[in-house]
Amino acid sequence: MSRNDSKYFSTTKKGEIPELKEELNSQYKDKRKDAVKKVIAAMTVGKDVSSLFTDVVNCMQTENLELKKLVYLYLINYAKSQPDLAILAVNTFVKDSQDPNPLIRALAVRTMGCIRVDKITEYLCDPLQRCLKDDDPYVRKTAAICVAKLYDINAELVEDRGFLDSLKDLISDNNPMVVANAVAALAEIQEHSSRPIFEITSHTLSKLLTALNECTEWGQVFILDALSRYKAADAREAENIVERVTPRLQHANCAVVLSAVKMILQQMELITSTDVVRNLCKKMAPPLVTLLSAEPEIQYVALRNINLIVQRRPTILAHEIKVFFCKYNDPIYVKMEKLEIMIKLASDRNIDQVLLEFKEYESIIATLCESLDTLDEPEAKASMIWIIGEYAERIDNADELLESFLESFPEEPAQVQLQLLTATVKLFLKKPTEGPQQMIQVVLNNATMETDNPDLRDRAYIYWRLLSTDPEAAKDVVLAEKPVITDDSNQLDSSLLDELLVNIATLSSVYHKPPDAFVTRAHTSAQKTEDEEYPEGSEAGYSESSSAIPANGAVSTPASVAPPSPPPAVPVPDLLGDLMGLDNSLVPTDEPATPAGPPLPILLPASTGQGLQISAQLTRRDGQVFYSMLFENNTQVPLDGFMIQFNKNTFGLAAGGPLQVPQLQPGTSARTLLPMVMFQNVSQGPPNSLLQVAVKNNQQPVWYFNDKIPFHVFFTEDGKMERSAFLETWRSLPDSNEVSKDFPGLVIGSVDATLERLAASNVFFIAKRKNANQDVFYFSAKMPRGIPLLIELTTVVGSPGVKSAIKTPSPEMSAFLFEAIETLLKS
Amino acid sequence: MGLVFTKLFSSLFGNKEARILVLGLDNAGKTTILYRLQMGEVVSTIPTIGFNVETVQYNNIKFQVWDLGGQTSIRPYWRCYFPNTQAIIYVVDSSDTDRLVIAKEEFHAILEEEELKGAVVLIFANKQDLPGALDDAAVTESLELHKIKNRQWSIFKTSAIKGEGLFEGLDWLSNTLKSGGG
Repeated sequence: MSRNDSKYFSTTKKGEIPELKEELNSQYKDKRKDAVKKVIAAMTVGKDVSSLFTDVVNCMQTENLELKKLVYLYLINYAKSQPDLAILAVNTFVKDSQDPNPLIRALAVRTMGCIRVDKITEYLCDPLQRCLKDDDPYVRKTAAICVAKLYDINAELVEDRGFLDSLKDLISDNNPMVVANAVAALAEIQEHSSRPIFEITSHTLSKLLTALNECTEWGQVFILDALSRYKAADAREAENIVERVTPRLQHANCAVVLSAVKMILQQMELITSTDVVRNLCKKMAPPLVTLLSAEPEIQYVALRNINLIVQRRPTILAHEIKVFFCKYNDPIYVKMEKLEIMIKLASDRNIDQVLLEFKEYESIIATLCESLDTLDEPEAKASMIWIIGEYAERIDNADELLESFLESFPEEPAQVQLQLLTATVKLFLKKPTEGPQQMIQVVLNNATMETDNPDLRDRAYIYWRLLSTDPEAAKDVVLAEKPVITDDSNQLDSSLLDELLVNIATLSSVYHKPPDAFVTRAHTSAQKTEDEEYPEGSEAGYSESSSAIPANGAVSTPASVAPPSPPPAVPVPDLLGDLMGLDNSLVPTDEPATPAGPPLPILLPASTGQGLQISAQLTRRDGQVFYSMLFENNTQVPLDGFMIQFNKNTFGLAAGGPLQVPQLQPGTSARTLLPMVMFQNVSQGPPNSLLQVAVKNNQQPVWYFNDKIPFHVFFTEDGKMERSAFLETWRSLPDSNEVSKDFPGLVIGSVDATLERLAASNVFFIAKRKNANQDVFYFSAKMPRGIPLLIELTTVVGSPGVKSAIKTPSPEMSAFLFEAIETLLKS
Repeated sequence: MGLVFTKLFSSLFGNKEARILVLGLDNAGKTTILYRLQMGEVVSTIPTIGFNVETVQYNNIKFQVWDLGGQTSIRPYWRCYFPNTQAIIYVVDSSDTDRLVIAKEEFHAILEEEELKGAVVLIFANKQDLPGALDDAAVTESLELHKIKNRQWSIFKTSAIKGEGLFEGLDWLSNTLKSGGG
């Protein structure tokens, strides 16, 4: 907007809406245009101008491109809240998609894709079809993206209308930008689909490689990403592809470089010739090094990706370790990443170089010692004092330096006092001369007599006794050799590394987490339909839970890109059993844990489990969901090697760690709390609360049992809302999101007890009001992924009958929510 | 005297557009009529899901003509367009005798609308080119036009395809509006 346009933001007179309405219906074009601008201005500052829907839409048929764009903008924003009236815009879209001006045709088709209203989706198919075959490449490219959007709204429609085929045709388009966008759209669709949709063939491969050299940088990224998922037929083909792609490594755009690196790394897995691999590694080093001369934020992204790359192919950067030396002005997050990579790259060949670099830092001690007075942060002070004590023999005036701190000993914070105590003891042990001896007396006196900090006092006593009993022993303890630092904590598990490498140049490779760990996907009704069309059993081995990981070829997904533990979409126990044989999907048992708790419901009675009885229940503790389990061995033999597996379920619950059950002797039992994670293996189809569990041990067959997921374990601790936020959320949700249910049998006896019980389950009381003889209570809760839940309970306290109304952005969950509310009110 | 009137008219209609709604059941020919009036030619049309709006200049009057979709699903939204309307062109497919009853009901429902109280009504008995089309008298009877009270109206036999009758109707409309009928 130009500066003049700022005036549209400034009208806040009373009766703004009727005034705007009148202006929108003005007979003068200019006035109408101004009015639309005012409406958009109001919209952008968050005012609700949805009531002007028809008036704005009536301004849509105009030759004025600016006005048209504004109306389109309005439509994108409000069509969803006025789904019935949105139909009035259809004819204009149809007209605009045939406008002589390609800009208008593209604008129309793009806007259509952004309007997510079921009722009009179907009318938009004809224009879309036309635009996919438009003469103008800009229109075709926009239409390609629109197909992906439409797929998200109604996948079935897209397939029925043959749009997928049209998209695939566009891969052979003569315009590289169209090709790139078709690839992007297909990749996007593939991510939402559980079936193979986008598979690169040798024909499309050559089209993509040709387009790669001609399209824009972002188009190149799309194509490279698609190519990195292509599984070459043999080493030869992989080499050919890589050869065509290597020039991209010189691109100025970091995203292109990283995508090219990803693609080459993937294809390299197939290349057998060590010469070729060595050569490629050599070629990848300079572009990666170049990324490190960009601004710190980009450096960080590059470093996180390099961290992954060097774990797979350390040779690429083995000779470049110098570039990872920290610069004094690197931000701390860059320094930390560089250190980690240095650790990973350090080898016999370069260790001297690395150590030399670190020795530089050792020389800093003198500098630090000179600037002791400037330290005022307790943490810094404590660290510095530790250094003085630790290296007392190298610091000539260590005793003077420590002494200067001792004067203020009583006033220092606890952590500084502790360090002073230890450092003084170290100094004394290293230099048992008169000065330090006096100092240690002062410190020990201070720390034992003048303090009320038990930590400090007890530590001082221990030193005191050690020193007075056996100074040599004290030396062994206080000056003990530090254990050798070994760091394998940052080595990623190889299957996770594989997955992350597939996702180089995405958020996933920066987080070092698989995409489905943080990407949420809306499951559209269309996907349900798909499930019906493709019976789950027919796709064994393919995990829908990995939908965020593009898999080109459901069944033939290469092992190297398979997600860590994808249980198949099969509710049939037999297949679950087969899966038990897959080592990588099993969670091995570890050392025992025996927390106590209330009796658990028996899910596998001993009579069914040949003497093994399992009781279990989902529970929430300290902000986490656990599967609380009790194993009782009533057999005649010890049972060991317990493992557990959860079938796909509505909430994607899965084991978040190993099942820790020790060997169970006959007649003994063990309790365990198994941490659970959500959204791991989400089942499609209508939501239900069934949790199917399989448990295995080394002595018995696999046992299956069913549990019911109590929804309230998902309510998170941060669900309490301020009253104002509650009101705002309540108002912002459409009435269609409100569902209510009567519990005629329920009685709320004591209000306080009920509120307390609900709060214990993270359902927080907001407010209460009287309505006739009834009390109305309002509560808030939060579901995972931050989805708010607002609850209204209406009842006469002490009399049976509770009416519950809930409002949430996810009303499809209401059945569970009511179940949870009922359970919580009953218990 | 004449000069004074011309001035008066130009001040009334000089810049002003008369707002006209073209209504009628689906497939009556509304969109075809609109573009025949605007461009003078027959365009191929598809069912209007929504609306078309065009400006037609005729007899020194600028008509802002709104052609609204006639499908059952869209008829409820006609009322969004009622305010400030000077005239209604009600188009009837004279050959679609089966649906004349519905056309009549919709027509009289429109006349009941408070917001359209002052609007003059022009009826086009369209599709006269088709065999079996009723003539204007028969359509008048079917639509029970004699029941119209307190309103200026007229009916014309038209064929949008052949371009017959349309401008005669528009002549009547512009004269009626000029003489203050709207």
